[in-house]
Amino acid sequence: MQRRDFFKQLGAVATIAAISPALSFADEAKKPKGPNDLSFKAALDAITGGKGAVESSKVSLKVPEIAENGAVVPVTVEVESPMTDSDYVKAIHILATKNANTRCIDVHLTPANGKAMFATRIKLGDTQDVTAIVALSNGTFLTASQNVKVTIGGCG
Amino acid sequence: MSSRKSLIKIKPNSYKDGEIVKVSFMVMHPMETGMRKDKTTKEIIPAKYVNSVKFEYNSKVITTMTVWESLSTNPVFTTYMKINGEGRFSVTYSDSTGEVHEKSMKIKPKG
Repeated sequence: MQRRDFFKQLGAVATIAAISPALSFADEAKKPKGPNDLSFKAALDAITGGKGAVESSKVSLKVPEIAENGAVVPVTVEVESPMTDSDYVKAIHILATKNANTRCIDVHLTPANGKAMFATRIKLGDTQDVTAIVALSNGTFLTASQNVKVTIGGCG
Repeated sequence: MSSRKSLIKIKPNSYKDGEIVKVSFMVMHPMETGMRKDKTTKEIIPAKYVNSVKFEYNSKVITTMTVWESLSTNPVFTTYMKINGEGRFSVTYSDSTGEVHEKSMKIKPKG
């Protein structure tokens, strides 16, 4: 009798183990899918080519600490740079780490800009970090990030 | 949909040759992410967002932007530009459904 009970229990455990991954998949499928979802790590690798970015005080990122409306969050990125033909800011990337598609905008600048600054307004779905990645003409990458508390999400 | 409202602003209003001015470009665009549902029909609203913007000054490219859906409705793009003689400043933008528009402005430095 004891042996029979043991096999019954074993069978029950096996069925649960078989069902549970299916359940978790079903949960994931419920999440709304955007047209081009991208995680933060994949985006970082795509931008820097796997090199990674260094945190720097040269990059100033201005975002409100508390955003009441996640649909309109003003972002300003300014970089200290002489903007000459030999030393200039190539690109500014703005990323929202927890949005379905982390990449918000890539801005490709030229020395004709005179000043390395870019401002726009982005949507944030949840409380998260906003990150700016700056590509310099000498091939290095700088970064700065700040946490933004969102009261009402802007993606629904 | 041929007439989409847009605006180019240059600050300050009057500028000299060689001055660095602030340029902003605004466009009235819904910026649909493709994740939102219509509240009455419960159907997903298809994605429609600006995906590229180009700033040109006397047909020389100043700034190009690649844009994704996480920008706000009616997006604003602000940057700086060096004034370099009289000419034309133009912005070309396209969206994910294939709409392409252009807006331009005369540049006339004083003094």
